[in-house]
Amino acid sequence: MSQVDASTRHLIDVMGTVVTVDLFECHDDDGARRALERASALLHDVDRVFSTYKDSSPVSRLRRGEVSLGETPPQVADVLDLCQRAKSLSAGWFDPWALPGGVDPTGYVKGWAAQLALGEFRGLAASGVIVNAAGDIATFGGPSPDAVFRTGIVRPDDSQRLAAVVELRGCLATSGEAQRGAHLFNPFTREFSGAVASASVTGPDLGLCDALATALSVGGHDVMVLIDNIGEYEAMTIDATGSMRATPGFPFVRD
Amino acid sequence: MKRTPIVAVGTVVGLASVLSFHTSPVKLNLSASAGPTTSLPATTTTTKSSTTTSPATTTTTKKSGTTGTTTVAPTTTTTTAAPTTTTTVQPTTTTTVATTGIRTATGPLVNYFYGQLSVKVTANGKKITAVTIASISDGGNPRSVQIDQYAIPVLEPEAVAAQSYSIQSVSGASYTSAGFAMSLQYALKKLGI
Repeated sequence: MSQVDASTRHLIDVMGTVVTVDLFECHDDDGARRALERASALLHDVDRVFSTYKDSSPVSRLRRGEVSLGETPPQVADVLDLCQRAKSLSAGWFDPWALPGGVDPTGYVKGWAAQLALGEFRGLAASGVIVNAAGDIATFGGPSPDAVFRTGIVRPDDSQRLAAVVELRGCLATSGEAQRGAHLFNPFTREFSGAVASASVTGPDLGLCDALATALSVGGHDVMVLIDNIGEYEAMTIDATGSMRATPGFPFVRD
Repeated sequence: MKRTPIVAVGTVVGLASVLSFHTSPVKLNLSASAGPTTSLPATTTTTKSSTTTSPATTTTTKKSGTTGTTTVAPTTTTTTAAPTTTTTVQPTTTTTVATTGIRTATGPLVNYFYGQLSVKVTANGKKITAVTIASISDGGNPRSVQIDQYAIPVLEPEAVAAQSYSIQSVSGASYTSAGFAMSLQYALKKLGI
């Protein structure tokens, strides 16, 4: 237990998973509670608008052609703009428009929403905050004023063991074969298939990290080269044989 | 524009054999610190041997070790049930100890895109330490084997075997679905979370 620095953990049950919020050295309980309420409301609102599991959500209706983009809440168009940017940056490997069943921004939304939720804690008297949306992580600060967060990346074959530990300044998203059923769709072959077992991307924005990790898990090495050329973003993959590859700046913690 | 070549940075030892394809569901190997592990949907049932563990009880053992409190009591009382039943692991302490100690609860089998799955939650007091797939059946669709080998990384860092690092969070590929969420919510409700 002494290994763990998390001081206060909060759970938000939303978006088909559990989002955790960890506050470090927080000295403002009232402010923290208000920020948590805002973050929870925000995530539930995102779920209400974007869920593809809820038939009545605006995005579900958009996918079925029942409403036009202009008739959906404005954040749908915002997210689709961001998806277009991610598609462009990944040379088409991340492509919500190629998915069967109509445009599906789900691969961007979770990270984007977690990033927005993190924003609700800016200005709080805390040394750092972690928002973890089922393994996609947005942070600012550190466990103490002079320390950097460290995050473990689990092995793709065994989530109880770590493949790597990274120093995290900003965000980290991991994608992999486990997500196949969800959205590991190769837009070029139009098949569900992944190139690597686990794909991680670090960078300042979790929405883009999430999208790039999805692209990386489908496109493999080609996408890693693309990410290497995006400023502030770094990538790491683990293939089915266990081999790890990374961009030179990937923030591994090395012993 | 490319800065420097992509580097191969090492190998996760033993991964290849585990990722090789299986024709039947294979559970996570959680034996890192808990000795031999019998996979959850094993053909043997209701074995009370202390070496028959489940992901939850393995976590239990580790956490108990770190806290220095009790031991493997949940392990010995856990019953490994037949595969694809909704009561795969009995939440042995749920009723007696409302919000303290290591507890697990398994949600009901629910339909998902490829078949049925159920979700198991492990908690220490009110803190969720792990959320895993308790059982999954899909009529042999190989895709679910991939899902089966994974657990949602809603994990306390101390639940992870690599104890030599001080870490604050854990990242891994996640899987979410309406069915997963439904089973999860029931499991959380059982635990009063």
